[in-house]
Amino acid sequence: MLTIAISKGRLQDETLALFAGAGMAAEEEALSSRRLLVEAAGGRCNFIFVKPADVPTYVEYGVADAGVCGRDVLLESQADVHEPLDLRLGRCQIAVAGRHEVVGEDYNLLATVRVATKYPRITAAYFQERGIPIEVVTLSGSVELAPLLGLSDRIVDLVETGRTLRENGLEVIDVITESTARLIVNRASFHLKRAEVSALITDLAGALKLGARG
Amino acid sequence: MSSLTKIPAGVQYFFDDEARLRRYVERQVMEVFAGWSYDEIILPMFDYHDLFARGMGAERAEKTYRFVDRDGALLALRPELTSLVARTVATRFIHRARPVRLCYSGEVFRYDEPTERAAREFHQLGLEHIGQAGATADIEILLVAAEALTTLGIADYRVTLSHVDFFNGVAAALDLSATDRARLRELIDRRSSYTLDEFLRERAPKVEEARRIAFCRLTQIAGKAEAIAQAREVLINERSLAAIDKLEEIYATLTALGLAEHFDIDLGDAGGLEYYTGLTFKVYVPDWGTEIGGGGRYDHLIANFGAAEPAVGFSFALDGLVGALSRRDGAGQWRATDLSQAVALDGDFVQAFRRAQELRARKSKVKIQ
Repeated sequence: MLTIAISKGRLQDETLALFAGAGMAAEEEALSSRRLLVEAAGGRCNFIFVKPADVPTYVEYGVADAGVCGRDVLLESQADVHEPLDLRLGRCQIAVAGRHEVVGEDYNLLATVRVATKYPRITAAYFQERGIPIEVVTLSGSVELAPLLGLSDRIVDLVETGRTLRENGLEVIDVITESTARLIVNRASFHLKRAEVSALITDLAGALKLGARG
Repeated sequence: MSSLTKIPAGVQYFFDDEARLRRYVERQVMEVFAGWSYDEIILPMFDYHDLFARGMGAERAEKTYRFVDRDGALLALRPELTSLVARTVATRFIHRARPVRLCYSGEVFRYDEPTERAAREFHQLGLEHIGQAGATADIEILLVAAEALTTLGIADYRVTLSHVDFFNGVAAALDLSATDRARLRELIDRRSSYTLDEFLRERAPKVEEARRIAFCRLTQIAGKAEAIAQAREVLINERSLAAIDKLEEIYATLTALGLAEHFDIDLGDAGGLEYYTGLTFKVYVPDWGTEIGGGGRYDHLIANFGAAEPAVGFSFALDGLVGALSRRDGAGQWRATDLSQAVALDGDFVQAFRRAQELRARKSKVKIQ
């Protein structure tokens, strides 16, 4: 039986709907409880519900055989895992944003830019590639507040509809990359539980195609 | 030192059952190596940084702990053992008969930036078989690895076999730039077939659709004879096809030896390409989330230190072997069994110590009380 780590929150409902479409529905009753470990109907897999940023860790260490998390989380964690499927859920962008005044303003290549983010590695890599010195301020939420209160010059954050940004007087300056939910698989499980892992990939790919047509 | 309890990141202390288990595993594996006539070589903890840069490439030698000798020369704690063995064989063993079979047990030290959580000190148990090309040496070391696992009571291991020319052949046929080649390799390594499909559509538009789709599927394929057959249908470049022939030969021998259930062909393994030149393999066991060992053929390495000669080798990660074993039931041969005989020190000390010596002479375990 496979153990599958599911990201709680933003992606959870869509992920479970996709698994249900692939014949691995989580039992409703268990879901409505606050249990963190839930068996799929038919006993094909166990779901564990964890914070999105922890999904790559569970999978890399092999505590979960597979998991679903956003590409943003995966890039940030740099976890050494297989990434066989793009589940095309939760599409969003990782973007640099700032107050209207700074949009279009050139970076002063000599002065350090302060950037607030939940993604310190992605942020550092983006600015390093451009030779812009930065100071990363790592926050765990409400990143949009940072420029408003003068904590940072810019932010790097997820943008779905852009509404939160707009409501806080911020604008996207540059899109770093697109992000969607990915199926990730532990490297050892891929070989040791090959039949089950292949079936998981095939069934999810099938459910995705059905979803695309419907 | 800020605090007596603080330990530098990535280092480990072992004691009690864990220390016993590590030594037990080390002895068992080294005995298997010795049984196949691999002589132990004990290597220095550090050497010139340049030696490792020559052996593993400048990029990997960046991940060493470096320090300066009294004369100003740059030294490094050993990040791996193969370069040390290769240099020794290419220089001091130059007149010895080939093949040279050597094995080692020792810690290596690596500093890997992005993974602060990872250990920086690893104990490797490995061997090198130098001076003989061809499948027989490859098969020999696979059998040694298999026997070591069986001896430890790990009967459910899985070894995945691959060959660098699966990837090299495809990359050469597609005529990719260095950047695209690196990207292709990463996509195959992560088995991201969806992104791989997009990538090929863009960067190799001449590849027909059917072949492109089949190739993307190939990265997900690992298995027995059927994996070989599927690979033959998809790969058309000569280099990759020759690699398949070589793997098939090895696989047939392993099958004849009754080991087929433990060995798989894996077409999606694109690791260690800057180093390996032929067969590559990885060892997995249940209860451990990463490979616990691996190796392959590296026919170009020795030439960095002298005359070119073929070589093949592998190593186990002691942490992996110990970790997998300690999570199993009934694998308790290393546990502390206190069979010691107490010797009381009350009264005549000389008498008591003499009694202890007598017991030791009979190899009994004693404990002075």
